[in-house]
Amino acid sequence: MTAPAASATRRAAPPRRRSGRTPRAFFWMVVPAVVIFFGLHTIPVLTGMFFSLTNYAGYGTWDLVGLSNYVNLFLDDRVLNSYGFTFGFAIVSTVLVNVIALAIALGLNARIKFKTAFRGVFFIPYVLAILIIGYVFNYLFANSFPAIFESLGITGLSGNILADPNFAWIGIVITTVWQAAAFNVILYLAGLQTIPGEIYEAAGIDGASAWRRFWSLTFPLIGAYFTINMVLSFKSFLQVFDQIVALTNGGPGTSTESIAMVIYRGGFQGGEYGYQMANAVVYLFVIILVSFIQLRFLQRREASY
Amino acid sequence: MIASSTLVACSSADDQVVNLDFFQFKPEAVKEFASLIDDFEAKNPDIHVVQNVVPDPDTAIRTLLVKNKVPDVLTLNVSGNFAELARACVFANLSDEAPASSVNPAVQKIVQTLGSCDQGSGPEVNALPFASNASGILYNPQIFAENGVEVPTTWDELLAAAQTFKDNGVNPFYCTMKDAWTAAPAFVNLGGTLMPDGFFDKLRGEGSDLDTVSFSKDFSDAAQKEVKLYSFCQDDFASRDYASGNKAFGAGDSAMYLQGSYAIPAIRATNPDAQIASFPYPVTNDPDSRVVVSGVDVGLSIGRDTPHRKEAQRFVDYLMSPEVVQSYSEAQSTFSPLKNAVPNADPALAGLEPYFTDGRIIGFIDHQIPASIPLVNMLQSLVLTGDSEAFLSDLDSEWSKVAARTATARKGKS
Amino acid sequence: MSAALQGVEALRTVTAPSPRRRRRRSSVNGGTNWWVTALIAVCSLTVLIPLYFTIITALKTPDQLGGTGFEWPTSVRWENFSDAYQLTNFPRALMNTALITVGAVVLTLLTNSLVAYAIARNMHKKFFRGLYFYFLAAIFVPFPIIMLPVVKETALLGLDTPVGLILLYTVYGLSFNIFIFVAYIQSIPIELEEAARMDGASTWGVFWKVVFPLLAPMNATVGILTCVWAWNDFLLPLVVLSDPSAQTLPLAQFIFQGQFNTNYTVAFASYLMALAPLLIVYVIAQKWVVSGVMRGSVK
Repeated sequence: MTAPAASATRRAAPPRRRSGRTPRAFFWMVVPAVVIFFGLHTIPVLTGMFFSLTNYAGYGTWDLVGLSNYVNLFLDDRVLNSYGFTFGFAIVSTVLVNVIALAIALGLNARIKFKTAFRGVFFIPYVLAILIIGYVFNYLFANSFPAIFESLGITGLSGNILADPNFAWIGIVITTVWQAAAFNVILYLAGLQTIPGEIYEAAGIDGASAWRRFWSLTFPLIGAYFTINMVLSFKSFLQVFDQIVALTNGGPGTSTESIAMVIYRGGFQGGEYGYQMANAVVYLFVIILVSFIQLRFLQRREASY
Repeated sequence: MIASSTLVACSSADDQVVNLDFFQFKPEAVKEFASLIDDFEAKNPDIHVVQNVVPDPDTAIRTLLVKNKVPDVLTLNVSGNFAELARACVFANLSDEAPASSVNPAVQKIVQTLGSCDQGSGPEVNALPFASNASGILYNPQIFAENGVEVPTTWDELLAAAQTFKDNGVNPFYCTMKDAWTAAPAFVNLGGTLMPDGFFDKLRGEGSDLDTVSFSKDFSDAAQKEVKLYSFCQDDFASRDYASGNKAFGAGDSAMYLQGSYAIPAIRATNPDAQIASFPYPVTNDPDSRVVVSGVDVGLSIGRDTPHRKEAQRFVDYLMSPEVVQSYSEAQSTFSPLKNAVPNADPALAGLEPYFTDGRIIGFIDHQIPASIPLVNMLQSLVLTGDSEAFLSDLDSEWSKVAARTATARKGKS
Repeated sequence: MSAALQGVEALRTVTAPSPRRRRRRSSVNGGTNWWVTALIAVCSLTVLIPLYFTIITALKTPDQLGGTGFEWPTSVRWENFSDAYQLTNFPRALMNTALITVGAVVLTLLTNSLVAYAIARNMHKKFFRGLYFYFLAAIFVPFPIIMLPVVKETALLGLDTPVGLILLYTVYGLSFNIFIFVAYIQSIPIELEEAARMDGASTWGVFWKVVFPLLAPMNATVGILTCVWAWNDFLLPLVVLSDPSAQTLPLAQFIFQGQFNTNYTVAFASYLMALAPLLIVYVIAQKWVVSGVMRGSVK
């Protein structure tokens, strides 16, 4: 990291003078939030975790069953398959979303015409209802794309990709990237806005190729944004649910069943709430673990610039 | 306003207006129920009914249970989900109410088979059937006539008819395997007719072992017949979804359509003049063994602990009156579940109607399979791959896993 | 833990705005880059084509659906919009959604930035640093874990209302918002606050008069994200709200998705009607992000 990171760290240095006593106002600013947050978030989390030790169906009576839900989890090949699918999906989508979103953000930040209009356009996928996205992409995959490929003579691609157990996930990735890129564009744009133009002049490479400018200056300067976007998008793709319901509903067969989908179907619709809460707890720890590994790895990279 | 009037209703005498919270799960029937409610309120000025149309009713009803806010009156699809709630004694017992005696016993039996609350004094009646659907084969009479094909009454005739259409360049079936659930109607007909008596009771009885009965042992004929039927689908059947199937069948793109009465309004939405008729699945070569798979599309229940039991009952009595049931069934292409009902005059239903009136009906077997088993996704694999053995062993393994999990749950209870 | 600490160090710099510098726009050879404009225009087709699809679908009759889907409607059915208006009880649903969204955005901006300020300025203290991690960890909790307990709790507390929803959005947004607010606040030079303090301002006064106005660009970003979330959210209103008359737009719009019959044309019309206010908000907030940076640069 270069200039802004360094300066931010410098500025972030605590005001030493007052380090002895914290003004009471600071406590009043956080304590109510902590209390409410604890009540409305932490207590529900603990309650949910507790139910993973029970046979609760989501209604009616329940009893403690110890760790048997967790044991059964590791015997359930359907759950294991859903982890496999979800991870593969999340990795591919995260990489694609970030590359594409960064490219679009760079374009939108450049000296282009109709900037506001284009920014509005790329924001649209973020706010479209999932029913619309599902319907439109279902339609495109079923009719438009096969027709295009057929007219190009590529018969291998002339089927509905969502109907192919081996490739349906690609259709889900395309749709997801289309929708999720918008959110990342917003964050990357915010990052690019923080880069002052003079830096390019100061670095003396104003005349350098755009490619070189990007790799030697722009990218390192928004490295932290890259990290945040990678971690956040990976985390949210691990929780993929809506798109799949709209596109394949887990099919063909169970080839595109995600973890969240198994939890929702089994836990809230199938009456195995306790069992799926065990799944959700494992899932939570997996997400946290993966996110921290990712953070460490990405920060090493950042640091190496 | 609403809150205050509820308070008044709760706290004071009968001359005040009582608000009934009416949980209505069918978005497509909002208008019908709204006009029924208007009519009811005109006749019962002391009751105000608030129709609550909820998206995702299965999730919504569960959250209402968690909140302890079971609605006063509910409509629900009488499925496995309903049965789970009924067994947990969430709904009132309606067995002694007047409308219970007017229901076609064969239909009520379908409701009762799924399970109901039993607190020691025998199984209760937790839902009254308001509208029934039926799953058969829909067909286009014009295409049948043009190709000189008669309505098949046996399995062999059905295959012969399909072959004739195929030879004449007509799609026998329009299949929509993009939506997994559309494989289920054929399967419930085939499996429901062919399975041994008491199959699911025995299956539930044996826990996770599956020694005496299992899908592999008892459903292989059904699975193979399902695969056979789907071999007559149009080429791109894996890519097509339910919406495009309705449109295609409505436009006369296929001779037959493996769907039930519930698809008829959707088909007519794409083409009001669609040619639709129906016949029951000829599953075997014995024409007399034909039955119609029927489910209770809309069941009426009352919340067990409603403070307005009497008013709720009056509303249910009104809905269950023959005129109301009939007008609803005509508007929504359903069957009246009442004894001696006037048959639905819709020509599209004429082929199934007699079976219904005679009580030659069976329930949807997928309602017997816990929702935590992804049955429809597995059926989708079955018809796409044609591998019936893998399907049956997968189904056995899923069943066995769920049985093992609920067994540990039961152990915990003792 | 050390990994986590390192993580935070780097992430803190994430939203650093460099408020005292001029933006790049004003610099070097001010001409339009037509190549990039063209490229962006081509890319925007991937958004505009599905959008076109959506709009013409909303104008069709059900029997016109099908084909390639791109055909111009043979006869336009404007009634789709009026049907949608009536069936969703649009004014009421819109009002409910707007109240919840505005409430959530306002409460979020006021409270989350305050909490973030206290944390950002006391990060060197164990208590506040611990709080920071405590809030941050919640980002990773999947919703299914808390769903049923939240339903139960809100019902017990009488929060199964729009007010309760506003509170939930504010609380659940806290994790992510603190994350980005803290990073931003730490990049604001402390000297500004110290000057205000010299003039006799209290800690509260410093926050409201000095820090909060400087947060404008971040407020715009957080505002957009909260707004879209609250406006489009389906699951939380579905499970939390008890009174049918409090239904929000996403819930009311479900009326078009029957069990066996989805009314796509009217549904699309309805979704377009719900989409429009958000686009307007976005365009306004976009300008605010830019102007906020400019205002910062004047200081």
